[in-house]
Amino acid sequence: MRARAMLRNSTINKLLSTTPQLWKGRRTNHAQPTLATGNSGLDAQLPGNGWPLGAVSELICAKPGLGEFSLLLPALARMSKQGQWIIMIDPPWIPYPASLHGHGLSLRQLLLVRTGREKESLWACEQALSNGRSGAVLAWPKRISFTHLRRLQLAAGSSGKLAFLFRPEQALTAASPAALRLQLEPDSQHGTRINILKCRGGRTPEPAYCMNELHLKEASATCAKKYTRHLLARHTLPTPGAESADPWTGQEWTSHCDQ
Amino acid sequence: MPATAALGLMDTLLLSERDISAEQRVLQCLAAWCYQYSHQVSIPTDRNGLLLEAGASERLFGPPEALGKRLEQELGKLGYHAIAGSAPTPEAAWLAAPEGLHICGSGHIRRHIGPLPLKRLHLDTTQQLAMKHMGFRRLQDLLRLPRRALTRRFGPGVSDYLDRLLGIRADPRALYRPPQSFASRLDLSAEITSSQALLFPLKRLLEELCGVLRGGDTAVQSVQIVLGHEDHEDTRLELGLQSPTQTTARLVTVLRERLEHLRLSRPVRDIRLQAPQLLKFSADQRSLFMDTPAEQQQGIEQLTERLQARLGRASVTGITGVEDHRPEYSWRPRALDEQVNCTALAHRPSWLLPRPKPCAIEDYEILAGPERIESGWWDGRDCRRDYFIVRDSHGSMLWAFHEYKPQQGWYLHGIFA
Repeated sequence: MRARAMLRNSTINKLLSTTPQLWKGRRTNHAQPTLATGNSGLDAQLPGNGWPLGAVSELICAKPGLGEFSLLLPALARMSKQGQWIIMIDPPWIPYPASLHGHGLSLRQLLLVRTGREKESLWACEQALSNGRSGAVLAWPKRISFTHLRRLQLAAGSSGKLAFLFRPEQALTAASPAALRLQLEPDSQHGTRINILKCRGGRTPEPAYCMNELHLKEASATCAKKYTRHLLARHTLPTPGAESADPWTGQEWTSHCDQ
Repeated sequence: MPATAALGLMDTLLLSERDISAEQRVLQCLAAWCYQYSHQVSIPTDRNGLLLEAGASERLFGPPEALGKRLEQELGKLGYHAIAGSAPTPEAAWLAAPEGLHICGSGHIRRHIGPLPLKRLHLDTTQQLAMKHMGFRRLQDLLRLPRRALTRRFGPGVSDYLDRLLGIRADPRALYRPPQSFASRLDLSAEITSSQALLFPLKRLLEELCGVLRGGDTAVQSVQIVLGHEDHEDTRLELGLQSPTQTTARLVTVLRERLEHLRLSRPVRDIRLQAPQLLKFSADQRSLFMDTPAEQQQGIEQLTERLQARLGRASVTGITGVEDHRPEYSWRPRALDEQVNCTALAHRPSWLLPRPKPCAIEDYEILAGPERIESGWWDGRDCRRDYFIVRDSHGSMLWAFHEYKPQQGWYLHGIFA
């Protein structure tokens, strides 16, 4: 009797250690392969201490400019230096080469895919995810169905790549098969607060992790604010035509060098 | 049988004229294709067939019999009907092929081909007629005759032919040299109207191409496909790859994407496949350990090909910096084999807006700045700007500038995402 119980126990343990989809309630599961985010505070909060490899991670924010991309930069930079490819599918803006290079991302390993159509974009995303065995794929889908998310998740699972989807706020209410879902919110004290909505392989931690104006620190914070204000005060501020629409609605972008 | 008699027997008979030059063209193509199995291929000028030397590659492809089977099968896949035979001498092999005979050892030639009728021999008709009148029916009758008597009766040509047949005299052949380009054509028996249906015949042509490539140890990086219509200009397609290849599967993946987007305005009557330039092939080294940079490079090349085939060449690029202080001119798309050249400016935003967007600065809180950019007096797009890092009411970090020249005003230009 006892022997059988032990046997059963060992089978359970074996399953627990080999299957990323299984974990005990209180403990986190370390079977999921991960890649360190390069941000020790965030690493500590995530099960497996990093971005889940071979799975889709969602970054949800209402407005861009909360540091959602700089959150990925350390990991992307490291990958690109190891010769792995970073593939961006339909980025809504132009990646600024000088800045990316400044953050250590090797531009040689950066591939941009511009499709301009939602359907093609998802197709390209799936192709990029199922190709090769390492690297990262970034996409900015405006709308994506559960079925498509599931397909991307499967494609990522088969290749072991990192997949990041930047999603609008509406995604919060919809269910998602993604392994990791992060919500980024502006925080008056800290700059940006990151809520972990879902993480496979562990319970969602409380409290949320705060990013300390991370991306701004590296920016030209050396310039004194006071001086700036003073300078501004001297100028009469012109108000251009009241175009208050979102500046970042996806436009076709072309290089000026093409013209 | 004359054509009229044949038509009398069967009125549904279709007659078509024999096109000798087309036959020769096909033989040339097939010789190139056969080059993958033997380094000595010869095209006899006056007959319909090819001669291959099979002994040297016996360890690779098995005995001539096995090679013959394989050639028959593979040529069948390409749409040709072939029969193979082998023998120690070229002329004997020629006689053995229609019978499907495989003769090994020069001692057995006599026994195997002796019973063959004389009209199979490669002799001119007057000689054959003379032999018939003299009462010879089979080859063995001829072989029984003393050589001197034979020469006296039919001239030295016949006895020389028999010597070459039996291997008594050497029989050197002009060898085929593979060409530096490839062109093949397929006339469709029925017109094709759907682009998807083109895949099958095109696959056959690509297989032929890859056979030629393997034979000559060459590779292609681009393939042109011309679809011929009746009374209309041809449709042209080009399959482009990131690196040279000689595998059919890789070409077919690209082809499939292209065909999916192809709209045929008219039915297709013939297909031509051209590879104007055959490149030297260097075999990919498969690594024992997964995921080497070389393997990733291969993976990305194949991905790029597939994406470009469907989305267009310009849709899949890299990006590189351009030496210009004005951010909107400081980047351009990069072909993947191009070098990267970029300055590092970590304090700039990671994203640029496609074009500067006018804004009202009162809505934003200024966090840092200014950074002066003044440039471009030489190209007529002179500007003087002060860049600031600003935050809007939603907490988004943006890059804004105050322009003094050419137009006074505030603009948003980037996002610190």
